[in-house]
Amino acid sequence: MRVLHLIAIALLLGAAVAVAQTPDLARRQAEAAAALADRQEEETVLTEGEGRSEVFGYCTACHNTALIRRSAFTRDRWDELMDWMAEKHGMNPLEGEFRQTIVDYLAKHYGPRARSPRGGNPFLN
Amino acid sequence: MTRENAPERSVQELYRDDPERADALVFGRRGALKGAALAAMGTALGAGIPFARHMPQGLVPAALAQGAAQPQFLQMEGKAPLIMQGERPLNAETPEHLLDDAVTPADKFFIRNNGSVPDPVADPRAWKIRIDGEVNTPLELSIAELEQRFEVVTRQLQMECGGNGRSGFSPQAAGNQWGNGAISNAEWTGVRLRDVLRAAGLKEGAKFTGQHGADNHLSAQGPAISRGMRIEKALDEDTLICFRMNGAAIPQMHGAPARLIVPGWPGSLSQKWFTRLEVKSEPHTGRGMGGTSYRIPVRPIVPGSRNNGADFVDMESMPVRSVLTSHAHGTRLPAGTRSLDIRGHAWAGDLSVRDVHVSTDFGQSWQAMQVAAPPNRHSWQRWQGSIALPADGYYEVWYRATDSNGRMQPHVAANWNPQGYGANPISRIAILIG
Repeated sequence: MRVLHLIAIALLLGAAVAVAQTPDLARRQAEAAAALADRQEEETVLTEGEGRSEVFGYCTACHNTALIRRSAFTRDRWDELMDWMAEKHGMNPLEGEFRQTIVDYLAKHYGPRARSPRGGNPFLN
Repeated sequence: MTRENAPERSVQELYRDDPERADALVFGRRGALKGAALAAMGTALGAGIPFARHMPQGLVPAALAQGAAQPQFLQMEGKAPLIMQGERPLNAETPEHLLDDAVTPADKFFIRNNGSVPDPVADPRAWKIRIDGEVNTPLELSIAELEQRFEVVTRQLQMECGGNGRSGFSPQAAGNQWGNGAISNAEWTGVRLRDVLRAAGLKEGAKFTGQHGADNHLSAQGPAISRGMRIEKALDEDTLICFRMNGAAIPQMHGAPARLIVPGWPGSLSQKWFTRLEVKSEPHTGRGMGGTSYRIPVRPIVPGSRNNGADFVDMESMPVRSVLTSHAHGTRLPAGTRSLDIRGHAWAGDLSVRDVHVSTDFGQSWQAMQVAAPPNRHSWQRWQGSIALPADGYYEVWYRATDSNGRMQPHVAANWNPQGYGANPISRIAILIG
């Protein structure tokens, strides 16, 4: 009986150690995620051009530039996304000249990458 | 769409430095491939293309990357080098060949965040989950109480991002440009949501749910995401409130200390850092509901056109998909290799997978693979088989699953929508013999 108790205690201690290591990894992973999110970017990561400072300043308030750099949208779709971010993601609505500067920059530097041999979609152009 | 410099930089780099390169970067890139270009491509590949005569016009080989930026890989303790989709919010995709395990280990589990990752809590057992709304008795139960009061079950369950496969869309759709790697099939332990809902007692008006979690939106305005589903899915036996993954505490990245698992439906329903479920008489209106979010057209729309999604429907059961996990895209094998044993997984939302077929001649002929039964409903299924390689050279292995209703993965991503849900085209990897 005493042996069983000892085994039980040993198992409990072992379990406690195993559980104790998990919170440490959890904390380190949360810190690593925060560090990635806080990683400072340079404006020059975006293509040079008129409006780059405005785009960098405004957009990186919420997300990093990976979302811009991976994108290849027409001007119309970029424009639509400005409304979507305002409506769905709490962005201060973009209007007037400032909006035009931002959308112009994105459409010019992060537009569709190439045309297919058939010249794009016949229903859009 | 092939760039001028693609052939010079393509294959040596891909094969030598970058075998994990996501198929996302090469899939869906189409360009004219005529006689001269084909010859140039063979030169660039350093190999003949045994099935070149079958290569469809306008299809650029899987091995030819677009020549743009190299993918970045996540470096994080306890995580494999996943393909970075973005740092803020943090999103990372599992390369297909790292998905070979039957049960996805924590380090190879893709990362999808809509907001910031919360700090871990000191006492996970005391974490409370509230059930309220259209119920007779609102409940607030700690994890310890849930585990004590309800039957604890363990299941292998697929959990897939609603946008998995998005990079297949042309023109590009908004969001993370996932290949096929935003999929997981871990072993989850928890209690059935339906048992908890029955304990609370559903009122007659209980038709929908609204999920809530502890993560904040990056704008610091409100929750990161809050989605809901029809009550029928909440009452499915495989919809669980989970507190263990693969027999251990849920990793912080993946929703510790408790999360929902809603297998087979968009992963955004599987609320991480789960705190509350509202039972509702009307569809939920949280962030990520309505408009074009997690919604797909009923009538197909013109790809690239504007649409507010008003007449779309919520995406529910995810479409059939397969991954090839035994060999990385860009694998080089010794000269004289004449056959290859390959394997992967396939799944189909709430359905199961009937067939997986493979083609090594650009879709001219297809060969059936063996498909194993799932260990339980809502788990992915192992497929495997052997392919013949008649000569040295460049091959593409195309793989295509068919669900239990007979629907196959299509040749190209179908039913384009602005935020890019439901792309499940046939996948392919490039291999080089010799």
